[in-house]
Amino acid sequence: MSSTSERWFGAGHSTAADSAKAGGEAAAQAIAGRTPAAVFVFTSGGHDAVAVLAGVRAEAGDAVVVGGVGLGELTGAGATEHGVAVAALGGPGFTVCARAAGIAGLGARAAGAEAAAAMAEIDAPHTALLLVGDGTALGPHEIVRGAYSVVGAAVPLVGGLTHGRAQFLGDRVLAGSVVGVALGSDRPIGIGIAHGWRRVEPPLIVTRSVGERIYELDGEPALDVLLRRAAASGAGAPGTAAELFQDGVNLQPVGLARRSGLDIRSLHAGDDEERSVSGTAEIPQGALVWLMEAERDELVRGAGDAIGAATAALGGAEPLGLLAFDCGGRKLTLGEDGIAAEVAAMRAALGDVPFAGLYTLGEIARVRGASGLHQLTLVALALA
Amino acid sequence: MTAWSTAQLTEYFVAVNAAGSEEAAIALAVERAAEIVEAEIGLVVLGGRPRGAWGFGGAAPERDLLALSSAGGIVDIPGLGDVHAVPSQLGSGLPGALILGRLDEPFTPEERQTLQGMAQMLGAAMRGARALAAEQTLRADRERETRLVETLLAIQRGIVSRRPLQETFDAITGGAAELLGDAYVALILADPAPRVASSAGGVGPGDRPGNAARAAMDTGSLQVDEDEQGHAVIAVPVLVTGEIAGSLVARAGDAAGYHADQLEAFAQQVGLALTDARTVELVHEAHHDHVTGLPSRALFLKAFNGRPRAGVLFIDLDRFKAVNDSLGHDAGDQLLADVAERIRGCVRVGDTVARLGGDEFAVLLGDAHRDTAVATGERIIAAVREPFRVKGRTVYIGASIGAALPGADGNGSPDELLNCADLAMYRAKQDGPGRVVVYEPAMHAAALHYLSLRADLQRALAEGEFGLVYQPLVRLDAGSVVGVEALLRWNSPGRGIVAPGEFLPIAEESGLIADIGQWVLASSARQVAAWRRRRPGLTLNVNISGRELVRPGFVEDVTRTLAAAGLPTNAVTLELTESVLMSDPKPAVLALSRLRARGVQMSIDDFGTGYSSLAYLRDLPVDELKVDRAFIARTQLTGRDMALVSTIMELGHILGLRVVAEGIENQAQLDAVQRLGCSLGQGFHLHRPLDPAAIPPLLESPSLHRAA
Repeated sequence: MSSTSERWFGAGHSTAADSAKAGGEAAAQAIAGRTPAAVFVFTSGGHDAVAVLAGVRAEAGDAVVVGGVGLGELTGAGATEHGVAVAALGGPGFTVCARAAGIAGLGARAAGAEAAAAMAEIDAPHTALLLVGDGTALGPHEIVRGAYSVVGAAVPLVGGLTHGRAQFLGDRVLAGSVVGVALGSDRPIGIGIAHGWRRVEPPLIVTRSVGERIYELDGEPALDVLLRRAAASGAGAPGTAAELFQDGVNLQPVGLARRSGLDIRSLHAGDDEERSVSGTAEIPQGALVWLMEAERDELVRGAGDAIGAATAALGGAEPLGLLAFDCGGRKLTLGEDGIAAEVAAMRAALGDVPFAGLYTLGEIARVRGASGLHQLTLVALALA
Repeated sequence: MTAWSTAQLTEYFVAVNAAGSEEAAIALAVERAAEIVEAEIGLVVLGGRPRGAWGFGGAAPERDLLALSSAGGIVDIPGLGDVHAVPSQLGSGLPGALILGRLDEPFTPEERQTLQGMAQMLGAAMRGARALAAEQTLRADRERETRLVETLLAIQRGIVSRRPLQETFDAITGGAAELLGDAYVALILADPAPRVASSAGGVGPGDRPGNAARAAMDTGSLQVDEDEQGHAVIAVPVLVTGEIAGSLVARAGDAAGYHADQLEAFAQQVGLALTDARTVELVHEAHHDHVTGLPSRALFLKAFNGRPRAGVLFIDLDRFKAVNDSLGHDAGDQLLADVAERIRGCVRVGDTVARLGGDEFAVLLGDAHRDTAVATGERIIAAVREPFRVKGRTVYIGASIGAALPGADGNGSPDELLNCADLAMYRAKQDGPGRVVVYEPAMHAAALHYLSLRADLQRALAEGEFGLVYQPLVRLDAGSVVGVEALLRWNSPGRGIVAPGEFLPIAEESGLIADIGQWVLASSARQVAAWRRRRPGLTLNVNISGRELVRPGFVEDVTRTLAAAGLPTNAVTLELTESVLMSDPKPAVLALSRLRARGVQMSIDDFGTGYSSLAYLRDLPVDELKVDRAFIARTQLTGRDMALVSTIMELGHILGLRVVAEGIENQAQLDAVQRLGCSLGQGFHLHRPLDPAAIPPLLESPSLHRAA
């Protein structure tokens, strides 16, 4: 462990049943007696979030405390549900400023812009804006647009979407909000994104869709196409939407053709009457999409790829620590063994470098272009 | 391939047009355009001033951006780096441009065209907003702009829903003609030769529109001209991914204004429609058959490009339909996928395998030597002949293959080559499935012959070219005639006597068999009814095809025809071949049972050559077996022949069936079948098929009743 006169990053994890104790244990491990500038708290359902934050605060001193409730949390010690994972950083060269805004009052876009105003306080050679937003609010992509309208193309965006009443700032648990954490550093900040899915040829044209619901692919009822493709891929012979999606357990990722690759969307439900299928993000009519598939190992490799991309973006500097925003849908698809393999792959990619992360309802990563909301991906933020 | 979808463009148009103010329209346009082309920064420069800057994080846009030349360039943005920036003009009347900038990669021609369309649309919306501000004086313009936007949106929706291209073109010329004050508007497309693809409105063309259009296509820029009557003629180029694809030309109906910007907006729509059509075509062509993953026919034909020496194998599966019908389409699809895999395993790396549709495949052979073609074809046949495992069952199918090679005479286009291979495949099927046949020019003649035969056959019945001859059925012990088999003859004025074997398959295939069969039954029944006045008990055998048997209403037609002819149903035996019963047993058995219930008797013709399943002999309402001539055709019957015939006799007796020996051609054969206990026979040695006039004398001999 380094002394507090140097830059440091630590991670801690607790599965204690008592919420305050879990928060305190995880924070104590992460902070290890040093003075943190920022503390990131990730947890999932089952804990009293206010008590968790109180436990963290007892260890964190005056540090900025941010985070949220997702579908699980992870550190190098493993991935859990109903646990608490904490990351903390401090030392010279880091500046952190956080700000929250409510979506209900302002709208998603203005809330994103308001939260991004935290960046105004930061004057550093390297910056990133970390966003923790309500993933159940309408139009989550507007959060990212709002933030971009303020910080522009020079500041990368990163982060994840959480449950509704579940964004943390300071000692408060916020509902329906966006928390913006402006990070400044005198050393590089790297962001990586990867998914590990692979295209199933041939692609399909979305011939009819409304919002997040697809009615027709290649002029044929969308559900029929998916059922046939499922049967052809050897995934049994599902006859109904419920069998195909196994009541939301079995996600069907689709890749949306973009100039620089594919944007992954997840479909998780269908309607036997309308023969339609639907997800949580918009799929425009006329778009060219691929159904995506992956072996467990490919998804696991995706985690390593995201981390590799994030650390490579440090421009040769040694990574100090890493935050991960991993999609809850990946977790569902990977299963318990797969998750263990994923964490092992992250450990393998990072060596002794500490990391902590949250299983999210959607991931934010914008390094190129002007949009940056993703699904079924792993987004990594590496700090040097 | 475009990353944006036309639906995104429509959304862009709707959003920008719905914006309440010029400011809002600019902000929306910049932001959406940036997302669609994945640009980091965007802005509008109007009168040298930046508006709606996006992605600069509050900093002022660089001066370099404001002074960008129309070709675009690289601009260093602090904190971001070098971006490729490109301006798209907002259209006449608005001295400004929509500028987008992207890190790393310059914009493609297609993206630049999309951006140009977006800028035009923004320009229209901005002019609309300005018109709104100066309401009273500019009411007419505003309405026109609104109508322009509405018209463009309707066209855009047509493009999104992929209406036929012609419909979109007509909507564009129609919309432009109306908006330009009933101008004459024509869309001229350059490819393959300049032609008017659509036109609408106003007074006819004259030469001038053509001149202006040509000039616009040559120069790639707006052309303004005047026709003989002093009307303005404007032509704008239509661009598809940067290339000139044609021109939209208008001859103004009145002297008011050029409205060149509006015409340009319509020309953009033509470009988008063409680009979209090309993209869809590419996607579909790039695609490969869903079931097998093989290239489609279109792609296959493209694969010939640059390979003038390429040859073709045309592969048709045998018995695939039976598998598909009995095990279902899923099984059929799986089988096709497995077949595709095996075919792929039989060809060389440079060869292309495609699925043409149904159960037809094709292989493009890189170097087309006859020997290689035949060897490859035989490998494929052998591979397909191996059993397949489908839905837990073992399935056997086969393949017939036609090969076509580029001739010295250059029977050249890929299409022609494929057709030749198809003809050769057809011959392979005829010669017996499971063969490779190489195309010969004579096959083309044979195909023509087939087509003309079919045409003649269609006329033959109406022209009375058919006739009947009757071959007596003889009771062997007494030598007396107990019945006759009606045989069809076609005396074609152009061809002479055509053998039944030549025309009956065609009649079956074309469905003419139903009318012909009906005529045979009616004529022969009337004839035999007349003879029965002299010889009561005389019976009639008539051949029917499987197609007739399963035709709805066949049973009723037979009964009615016999009643009309005055021939009792039990005097008639319908002869079927075994194959009829094997191919589609259920409906056939149903029809047979109904006929049997009405007294009509059934005979299996050519017995012993087909499946000869004992099961159907037990289950079917059969009364008579005709032993195929093949068993007694030899002058001296061998022990093996005797044993076979004897077995069939016994079988008949056990099941209580009459057994008729066919093809008795000499005394030795007659003696032999008699020794075996056969009581009925037919053949040249007894009587040849005879004209009706020759039958009555044969009936003079003492009447003997047929054994039944």
